[in-house]
Amino acid sequence: MHSDHEENYKFAACTFFAKSHPGETCGSNGLPLTPSSISILGRAQRLLSIEHPNLCTYLDIIRGKHERIIVVAEVIGKSLADLKKKLSTEEIINVARQVANGLQYLHANNITHRTLSDDNILIDLNGKVKLFNYGIFYMTYGGSEVAFPLGQPRYLSPETILNSGGPTADIWTFGVILLELCIGKLWAKLKPGPILRRILGLVHVNDPAKRIAREHNSIEEYEQLPKYLQTLIEKCLQICPSKRATITEILQDLSNVDTKEMCAVKPPRGLMGCKLQYLYHWWQLAGGDIQVELKRNGLIKNSPPILSIPVAILLDGCTIGGKTGVLYDRRIAKYSIELLQSRLSHVSAHDYYPLMHERKKQNDAVTLPKTIRERDTEYQFYRLLWFQRLLHGYPYTAPYIRAEAEIDIPPLVRGDVWAALLGVVGDIEEQYERIDKETPTPTDRQIDVDIPRCHQYCWLLCGSAGHRTLKRLLKAWLLTNPQYVYWQGLDSLTAPFMYLNFCNEARAFACLSAFVPKFLHKFFLKDNSAVIKEYLAKFWQMAAFHEPRLATHLHDINFVPELFAIPWFLTMFSHVFPLHKIVHLWDAFLVEGPSLPLFMGVGILRQLRDTLLESGFNECILLFSDLPEIDIGECVKEAIDMCRSSPRSISYRRFTNDTVKKDSMDQVEIPMEVLFVEICPRISLSDFFSLICEDKCCVVDIRSNLLYEKSCIDGSVNVPYSGVHLGRHELRALGPQPERALQQAIKMKRNVVIASAEDETAQLFSDYLVKCGVPRVCILHGGIAALQTHIPSLFITPPTGNTGK
Amino acid sequence: MATNRTGAAQRPNGAPQTKVCQFKLVLLGESAVGKSSLVLRFVKGQFHEYQESTIGAAFLTQAIRFDDTTVKFEIWDTAGQERYHSLAPMYYRGAQSAIVVYDITNQDTFGRAKNWVKELQRQASPSIVIALAGNKSDLAAKRMVEFEEAQAYADENGLLFMETSAKTAMNVNDIFLAIANKLPKSEAGAAGAAGGGRRLADGEQPRPSQCCK
Repeated sequence: MHSDHEENYKFAACTFFAKSHPGETCGSNGLPLTPSSISILGRAQRLLSIEHPNLCTYLDIIRGKHERIIVVAEVIGKSLADLKKKLSTEEIINVARQVANGLQYLHANNITHRTLSDDNILIDLNGKVKLFNYGIFYMTYGGSEVAFPLGQPRYLSPETILNSGGPTADIWTFGVILLELCIGKLWAKLKPGPILRRILGLVHVNDPAKRIAREHNSIEEYEQLPKYLQTLIEKCLQICPSKRATITEILQDLSNVDTKEMCAVKPPRGLMGCKLQYLYHWWQLAGGDIQVELKRNGLIKNSPPILSIPVAILLDGCTIGGKTGVLYDRRIAKYSIELLQSRLSHVSAHDYYPLMHERKKQNDAVTLPKTIRERDTEYQFYRLLWFQRLLHGYPYTAPYIRAEAEIDIPPLVRGDVWAALLGVVGDIEEQYERIDKETPTPTDRQIDVDIPRCHQYCWLLCGSAGHRTLKRLLKAWLLTNPQYVYWQGLDSLTAPFMYLNFCNEARAFACLSAFVPKFLHKFFLKDNSAVIKEYLAKFWQMAAFHEPRLATHLHDINFVPELFAIPWFLTMFSHVFPLHKIVHLWDAFLVEGPSLPLFMGVGILRQLRDTLLESGFNECILLFSDLPEIDIGECVKEAIDMCRSSPRSISYRRFTNDTVKKDSMDQVEIPMEVLFVEICPRISLSDFFSLICEDKCCVVDIRSNLLYEKSCIDGSVNVPYSGVHLGRHELRALGPQPERALQQAIKMKRNVVIASAEDETAQLFSDYLVKCGVPRVCILHGGIAALQTHIPSLFITPPTGNTGK
Repeated sequence: MATNRTGAAQRPNGAPQTKVCQFKLVLLGESAVGKSSLVLRFVKGQFHEYQESTIGAAFLTQAIRFDDTTVKFEIWDTAGQERYHSLAPMYYRGAQSAIVVYDITNQDTFGRAKNWVKELQRQASPSIVIALAGNKSDLAAKRMVEFEEAQAYADENGLLFMETSAKTAMNVNDIFLAIANKLPKSEAGAAGAAGGGRRLADGEQPRPSQCCK
């Protein structure tokens, strides 16, 4: 079970407990203190995005029960501590160079390792070296969020023991490790206390390296080392931190050493060549469970709860006894991906490298609900590789990405795909960097009170790291959009982008900046009442168009969208649903475009239809104040159906970012006062013409039969308005022929277009049809007159007797 | 339906029917002073540390027994941000009662509360019963608004006043009870109050239009 299978161990986990807050559970603002585990989780997110050849990639940070943190990271070969043989000078230089490379990257990113030791430097059979779990000091805010001391005593620098020290402490440790590699393990038989005393005892020594070597009876061995190696060690083992070499100087020195480079190993192909994050994701989908393995290896022990009860609790909340502080558990559990290999053993080699222009075979799983597809190992395997390919070619592959996103988006790359769908390109880091996100503004108080209430069930968003990021994003957006102001709800709107781009603030910002003009143009104006009113009126029209019975009922009880739908649209539902639902909703919005949200609103009404229909005003408004569980998958499906089956012009809004000049054939704009009273939307002449050509509409001509007989639209039905009893809400009252035509239209899902000579009668009659329960009723914009001017060819003189009366 | 829910119309033991009075109540105040939390505590007996901000408004109802009367509150919980101010009249119009909330740890919110009181006195129904609630009394250690100062202001303006805590539930039910106590519950009085609160004795449907016009 060893070396030959070693390469199957791709990742490993270790675990520790975060410190629990003693006593006081509330901060001065009355809110509970953020648990340490959540602070750690937030801080550790940055580590997840680090990729460097000499650093083991972090894969996951999990929060377990009782403030437990589980860190999952890449693993290779074995640690220096487990390496039994002594290394040659050449090998030592090889290790040193790679460790220094890793450290340099960390220091350049303002991360201090502080826990470097022989058991977290890993080396594989090819001589490749990587640092494992280098971020524990960083993620625990310098150890302040855990109760145990960090680092192994014999690697601590003197100033670290005295509770200070920055990146220079890593240099000392680096020197100790080099020395150990040369002369063997230091202070092997001593307990921590004496070791620390020995290190502090070095403070008055001129040459600590030699002193240590002498102490270990290895001074001859030490003096036989190549001179450059001795110098290097001595440069590191300086008592005064400022006298130590920097990591860059060390690398410089090492590069001057003339040793042969490690032979390059060909990168593996197939499954082993896939991105580690993908492997980990698939492994989990295939049933891999980090915690189970930790339990099996005894890293998580279940002890009877009674043992963790404190012996005494003081009045100030401090506890005595019970679970006592333990030292950091240095053990790790390694995970084999054999499980995944066997699960994907039937995948052929060339499936790992899908070609863009190759016809893809359709996966059967496509018909399953999205939430199930997201948990299907094989499906995610193909999807992820395919999206990886497409994203690699972005922005040139943008249309392909859109087409694929329409099917679904793999959760692992959702952040990348959203950015692509929103057209985010260019040097967004640079742009974001330039924005002043710190200077206080009068809006800060409002932002400060809103952020601690925004999606706080989400571990990422509720920590202090999340709060700070959200604030910076909001301030940056407000500064770059001086025409807009902060409306409550903007925080919720920003949250999904931040959630998906937690370690990529610039991209979260770029996504938000692209999203607002597309979906919420002018919504955040200081005076946005006209914009919101128009949106709600349009939403109400869409409800009447697709759900006439429900709309009639809601009209009757005077239930207006102003009372409940403002948060829906102002935040694109991000204030209404939890994040795991918002992402599916927005997946669809980003693909379908800005009119889908209107239909999404109708979709929600439709899902609640039965309850709403039998409820009065109070029950209805109560229902929306405390929205019941909504099936988002179903709702999105319905909304997309409605959106695609509706003529484009009926959802026209004037407050959009479309700068396209409108042909008069495409016009449907009416004064706002008119919009607010019209129950049914207007259809443009060109949409109407398309419907006629596709035989998808039933035209009801409500002029007098005299006018109708002179000239009428081919195939239309005549229902002279003057003869309609608006009080009787039955189609039968219209006469047998119109009734048949309308019933047929309902059955065939045709649009019912009201053509009239004047607006007023068209409004009243369309309203009447909605009350009769006829769906898809719209008004021909401009009426018969406009149609005669623009498309006279549609008109015929009806043969007598076919007037519909 | 409406009467079934309040349980007033049908009494199996044939006991005398109690009066059911329906009153519209609106909560106003600066954002994050705890308006939604007060309502949640009153209606559901719950408290959420991270109560989300309210956009637009939320609506909840709660009935309390009061002597021989059931008082049913239709509560409009409004958004606190100044920008949503223009929506407020939609909610306080026709309201028989209002709770203006401030945060005792923040002097500015008290100033804002005074403005709300002024606006209500000017624009709302003249008979409106206004209560002033100094919320977050559990944070008395960080108090910035003195009890006496608020009490004096309330007395001057004829307001009910209590310091409340949605977190500990202190005075939450009491302030609603105090309002119920002060509202006219005689048939004439209830009906007279801007046509809002009415007796629902005979299965009469609540008139919705008054709530949203």
